[in-house]
Amino acid sequence: MRIRTIALLFLLFGILAVFSLAYAQNAPEASERGKEVYENSCAHCHGVEGRGDGSAAENLLPKPRDFTRGLYKIRSTEAGQLPTDQDLFDIITEGMPGSSMPEWETALSTNDRWEVVAYIKTFYDGFKENENPPKQITLEGKISYSPESVDIGKELYVELGCVECHGNVGRGDGTSAPTLTDSWGFQTWPANLTQGWTFRGGPDTEDIFKRFIGGIAGSPMPAFEGDSFLNFGLTSEESKRLIELENKDEMTEAEEEESGKFYEKMDAAVDIALTIKEGGEVSAAEIQTYNDAMKIVYEKSWHLANYVKSLMPEKQPEPAIGNNVLRSQYVQGELPDFDDPTWETFKARYFPLVGQVVIEPRQFNPTIDGVHVKSFYNDTEVAFLFVWDDRTHTTADETDETTGKPLEDALAVQFPVKVPQGPTAPKPYFLWGGRLPVYLWHWKASMPEQVTELTAKGINNAEAQEVQGELEVKSDYTDGQYKLWVKRALKTEDKKDLQLDTGVFVPIAFSAWDGSNGDVDTKLTMTSWYTFVLEPVPSSRRFIYPPLIALLSIGLLFGLRAFVQRRNTEEV
Amino acid sequence: MKTYLLASLTLLLACCYVGIVGITFAADSDAGEMEMLIFPENYKPMPVSNGGTISGVVKFEGDKPEMKVLEITKDPKVCGATEKYDESVVIGEDNALKNTIVYLIDITEGKDFDKEAKLEIDQKECKFTPHVQIVPVGQRLTMLNNDRVNHNVHIFSIINTPVNKQQTKTRKKMPLAGVKKAEGPVAVKCDIHGWMSAWIAYVPHPYFAVTNEKGEFTLEDVPAGKYKLGYWHETCGTNNESPAEVTVEAGGTVTQEFTLKLK
Ligand code: HEC
Ligand code: HEC
Repeated sequence: MRIRTIALLFLLFGILAVFSLAYAQNAPEASERGKEVYENSCAHCHGVEGRGDGSAAENLLPKPRDFTRGLYKIRSTEAGQLPTDQDLFDIITEGMPGSSMPEWETALSTNDRWEVVAYIKTFYDGFKENENPPKQITLEGKISYSPESVDIGKELYVELGCVECHGNVGRGDGTSAPTLTDSWGFQTWPANLTQGWTFRGGPDTEDIFKRFIGGIAGSPMPAFEGDSFLNFGLTSEESKRLIELENKDEMTEAEEEESGKFYEKMDAAVDIALTIKEGGEVSAAEIQTYNDAMKIVYEKSWHLANYVKSLMPEKQPEPAIGNNVLRSQYVQGELPDFDDPTWETFKARYFPLVGQVVIEPRQFNPTIDGVHVKSFYNDTEVAFLFVWDDRTHTTADETDETTGKPLEDALAVQFPVKVPQGPTAPKPYFLWGGRLPVYLWHWKASMPEQVTELTAKGINNAEAQEVQGELEVKSDYTDGQYKLWVKRALKTEDKKDLQLDTGVFVPIAFSAWDGSNGDVDTKLTMTSWYTFVLEPVPSSRRFIYPPLIALLSIGLLFGLRAFVQRRNTEEV
Repeated sequence: MKTYLLASLTLLLACCYVGIVGITFAADSDAGEMEMLIFPENYKPMPVSNGGTISGVVKFEGDKPEMKVLEITKDPKVCGATEKYDESVVIGEDNALKNTIVYLIDITEGKDFDKEAKLEIDQKECKFTPHVQIVPVGQRLTMLNNDRVNHNVHIFSIINTPVNKQQTKTRKKMPLAGVKKAEGPVAVKCDIHGWMSAWIAYVPHPYFAVTNEKGEFTLEDVPAGKYKLGYWHETCGTNNESPAEVTVEAGGTVTQEFTLKLK
């Protein structure tokens, strides 16, 4: 009996031993703590086994990273290399703007963040196989920002073909943008380079520099590393000359020969670069050639990084809240037309848009960042200019798979039908009203010169008004940006319209649809209520008013006196 | 004493059992994703004299899928000069199946690579040619750009380092560094022209062939012996589960036919 118990114990022990052995082989460095942190904070997105398939992953785009393939976007390392531990620590600490990856600086201690770095590395064997630390991109020799540098960078932006994906002025609207997929087959969009705050790895010049030299692994964005850089191995002058020659319709024999020499020089330099990459032997002279070539690549890369940096404002514009309300400016006479330069004198207010996630169908992965608005008014009319970025121009020629409805880009501007009296009075529900109705201007890309007036008592309860007012509308789509101009009378006959008075604070909100992102019906991006006001008439008018009022009151006074006097005489 | 023996035996058995289960699980999770080529662990090049030849034809069976015309969404002047088709299944006359890799699975000794052979994939009119390319481990593949538009060469390696490099319009030839390990086939794409698609197999020995438009393949200079003959096709899959068995005689020729269906 006793012997049997011992045997059984042995058996149990044996099984346990085997299990723990198996476990140790799978995850040698990972500590229990790292696993715990991961399973508590990361697994619902990244999956228990690190495959990016956690329970929350379904609705997210970009998808939470699958850690089993060793593909990391934000690295300080060269093309094809794994990130350093510090890279992983930093991205976990800071999060990835423009995606659902949160920052963990506040929620996790420094120690826990390091533990979880060790743990996520166990999902990919490549981290174990690489004894050598990954090679980092050198930031030495940074060329500081200057207009000259930006100009050189601008040429490279076109010559290297960034423009194919990122578009003419960088709004992520290149002609290849609509067909891009990531390494897992999911749709992905090129970054809008004018919105640095949406960059996963940060908007600093150094960040930008590292991103295009090292590439963004797992995404379609190529690595513009040494040997694939434009005319690798040629000096800047030689490179210029070669481009000049290449652009000729026909080359003379001498020119053929000249370009042939350039190609020979490039081939030799590329050969050295590849030999180094393959771990082959190279002579000291060859290393010198390689270093010289790389020096030029890095110089050009700094110019390019400076150019990209020049495309974005210094920081994300402040949302229009607090004192930052949208103030329509008074002008005398005609309101500025769509393309009037007067609009440039007005600083736009910025309204950030977020995905609508209250009502089905929802938008978890919005592509429109925000809308910039300006406004002018005169004695009878008000004009607005709405500007927003959208990578594609979608005009209802595609349809939504589930609803069969046409997909198209659109914007709606929302006001209450009745302006709440005072700041504490209730506003209509921000999602297109409810018990209190809202009044909307609905513009669609397929009818670019028209706005439909709607009245709504809820987002699924909107109707076009029977009487459509006389709104003047003009719009344009260029280089990934919409501009919409709308002009309306301050006062209308229609009771369902909003009536505008000077100095009255009016709630205003926006909804936008990006057709190519599947936005349709309630799947949209929107803002909650902000405030708009016809800024009371400035000084010149104040000058007219007081004397006028004075005159009137004097007149009244005289009138009153006359009246009293008459009464008195009549009584007499 | 007897009981002790029994106990240790049970223990041993239990260990084996757990071990086996562990292994099966591991194997399960690795397979099932994409069907790959099978490579020998080691391969030793040696001179082959009086080797035999394996040749044959690969045919398609079943309803022929229609050749899809590709939608040219970019650079229409260059890319859309002629109509292009999706090449994931290319069926010629007599049901000949093009672009099938036929190869020896278990060869460990045989001829060396032909080091002079040109290893190129051309990008012309925004299409990769050939659609399936065999590349020896360690050798450089040269990408040609005959289009005067920008392409990016994106190779989705998993075992080797993935590659994604821009080949700008003036860059007529772009050699790529040799890879370290046998792998594949791996997909090749140009993200700029999203429809462009090709496959590369990084191989450790030279007994690989890709079928032509007549579905034909030939493996030459095979040392006499018995071999497993495998195939891989992008849409029709592999015969990894039950490869064909062929016996090659010195100086002789064996033929083998394969009939593939859609998966
Ligand atoms: C709400 C979901 C969510 C949670 C929770 C989350 N992540 Fe992520 N994470 C993402 C998404 C989405 C991405 C991919 C973003 C992209 O590809 O642009 C990502 C990417 C990453 C990356 C890849 C960085 C790179 O350079 O490519 C790392 C590392 C990472 N997460 C670590 C963690 C860790 C560690 C935790 C827990 C402490 C965590 N994440 C929690 C959503 C999440
Ligand atoms: C084939 C298309 C393609 C080309 C060509 C391309 N990019 Fe990108 N780029 C992308 C995509 C897609 C992303 C978004 C990556 C992600 O976060 O998944 C991106 C992102 C970026 C980012 C943002 C990085 C971040 O931290 O989020 C920068 C900066 C950038 N690209 C610069 C460039 C420059 C400079 C060039 C030319 C030298 C270039 N790109 C060429 C597709 C491309």
